[in-house]
Amino acid sequence: MPTNKHVLFGHHFTSIAGAAPIVGPAIAVFWGWVPALAWIILGTVFAAGVHDTGALVVSVRNKAQNIGTLTTSVINPRSRTLFLIVIFFLLTLVNAVFAVVIAILFEGNPTAVIPIFFEIPLAIGIGQIIYRTKSSALVPSLIGVVVLYLSIFVGQAFPISLDGVAENLGMSARTLWVLILFAYTWVASRIPVWILLQPRDYINSHQLFVALAVIFLGILIGFDRIVAPAVNSIPEGSPNWFPFLFITIACGAVSGFHSLVSSGTTSKQLDKETDARYVGYMGALGEGSLALGSVLATTAGVGALAAWQERYSDFAAASDGALGGFVTGIGHFAANLGVPTAIGTTFAAVVVISFAATTMDTGVRLQRYIVQEIGEIVGNRTISQNIVVATTIAVVVPLALALLPGGGEQGYTFGVLWQLFGTTNQLTAGLALAVIAVWVTKHGRNPIAVVTPLVFLLAMTTWALVLNLQNFIRDREIVLGVLDAVIMGLAVWLIVEAVMAMRAAWQSEPAAEPTRQT
Amino acid sequence: MSAAETVHRILLIREEDAGHSGSGCCGRLGSADSELGGAADFSGNRCRMEAMGAVYRELRQTFPKEGVELHMVDPRNTLWLVPAIWRDARRRGLPWSAAARQVARGVNKASIVVDGRVLYAGEVPEPEEAVDAVLEELGRRA
Repeated sequence: MPTNKHVLFGHHFTSIAGAAPIVGPAIAVFWGWVPALAWIILGTVFAAGVHDTGALVVSVRNKAQNIGTLTTSVINPRSRTLFLIVIFFLLTLVNAVFAVVIAILFEGNPTAVIPIFFEIPLAIGIGQIIYRTKSSALVPSLIGVVVLYLSIFVGQAFPISLDGVAENLGMSARTLWVLILFAYTWVASRIPVWILLQPRDYINSHQLFVALAVIFLGILIGFDRIVAPAVNSIPEGSPNWFPFLFITIACGAVSGFHSLVSSGTTSKQLDKETDARYVGYMGALGEGSLALGSVLATTAGVGALAAWQERYSDFAAASDGALGGFVTGIGHFAANLGVPTAIGTTFAAVVVISFAATTMDTGVRLQRYIVQEIGEIVGNRTISQNIVVATTIAVVVPLALALLPGGGEQGYTFGVLWQLFGTTNQLTAGLALAVIAVWVTKHGRNPIAVVTPLVFLLAMTTWALVLNLQNFIRDREIVLGVLDAVIMGLAVWLIVEAVMAMRAAWQSEPAAEPTRQT
Repeated sequence: MSAAETVHRILLIREEDAGHSGSGCCGRLGSADSELGGAADFSGNRCRMEAMGAVYRELRQTFPKEGVELHMVDPRNTLWLVPAIWRDARRRGLPWSAAARQVARGVNKASIVVDGRVLYAGEVPEPEEAVDAVLEELGRRA
């Protein structure tokens, strides 16, 4: 359906914006704000923009096929298997990291618990109004957002902490939250989308713009100075920024998942091919602006330098405290707009948790389909046809992964799990860039703009995987080591496929150039 | 049609058959066109999408591109949609309160808005019925 480019940009941006471009940069300022900001800017301009626009163009030129199908037609059928395996690991890691993200935020912001749990019946109620009647979607969802934010005051009055319950159960509060969250997603991912997921979409679409307004208006009005060091002198034994920065900030600099949105869906709505740059590139810039907001919140909104240094004293503290830093920063920006800091902080936690919970809901749903597909491939009818079994597998695998790093006893923290997620996301981006590079080469065009980010991403990703693998072997972290090795195997596979496909493309006659649609 | 003549704007509002906001790119749940996710999840949306698609084709056939802008918009794209309906409603001379009512009605799971006036809300009409209603509305405005 041909769609006006401004309308389509709105669709595209609301589809790609979420919690991930907030979390990565909040951790990455551990190395200082200059490296983090530089990677966000350079990554957005030279990698994400090319990747998102390229995926859109290649899809449009191939009957709006999605990126999975394109890997088959542009590279080879084998690479589609690679794509599905990468997506499987990516979804597992997405579900694991977002469970931990929410658990950390609930632990640090007990005032956010009531608003978040209240949001569930609120969204269900809105869904009943929108989908069971002919009434407006705008008014109930706007009222829903107002009521949600009013519930923050109730949360302030009755903060809920699970410390005592968790202690009685012999586990940490974070572990208990993770268990509760996966129990929730087990149920949420099985109910029809119009009951909870879609009405929450309306609430989230408003929250996205409210959050962006609070961040950037708060900064403009407060004109806060960055207190964090430009380049941080990190303690000995910490991971170096080179190459770990490039996998810590994935979404916000370049995200492979954007290719899934660009191809298949957005490409089907492009009015003119020349609109691809506006929609794809602007979408990447929009995601980059969220990452920029995260950097500003965690470097300019956290008070004095001493407070920042305490929060980012080492990598373990940084990965645990990053989200706390972000919500504190937003609380400060909200205070610049006249909102009490405590309310602003809880508001920020509510926004991030709402986004992350929606990601988990959809992520587990997607994983269930993949589990069922795997069940079909291996001929196991119980897995392929029993929704309870498939959902349970889709929940248990990331649950185990989320609980694995523990509280950092071995020095492994949430940050390590996050980096594995970033690595897999970059691999997906690498696969999409390989498709774009081969397609561009086959059409006799210079592929340098695509090959440069492709080579850079694959080099950084593989390098980081090797370094992490050495650490996992040294510390006998079997599960993380195996996971790292498998992802590294996928990276090597991708490099081989990309090199072979590029060689074949160079040797082939340039394909006929289709007439550009303007 | 000369540039000086009125350009009419028809908005066909329908939800995409996919998760949209807040899940981020990481949790984008697929549609019928996506690699990921079961199309059946969004079967309700799909029905409305296809019905609105038929309306779009009929309207496109009836109205040439010059003079009539035809847009398909997701109601969750509020940053574009709300100002668009508001601007059109005010341009046709509706007072603030009436314009606000059109915005509220128009942002719907399925609706048709012509020059800021909501013709259908909460339902997708038959294509021929939609064309007649739009022709009548444009005739009234001419």
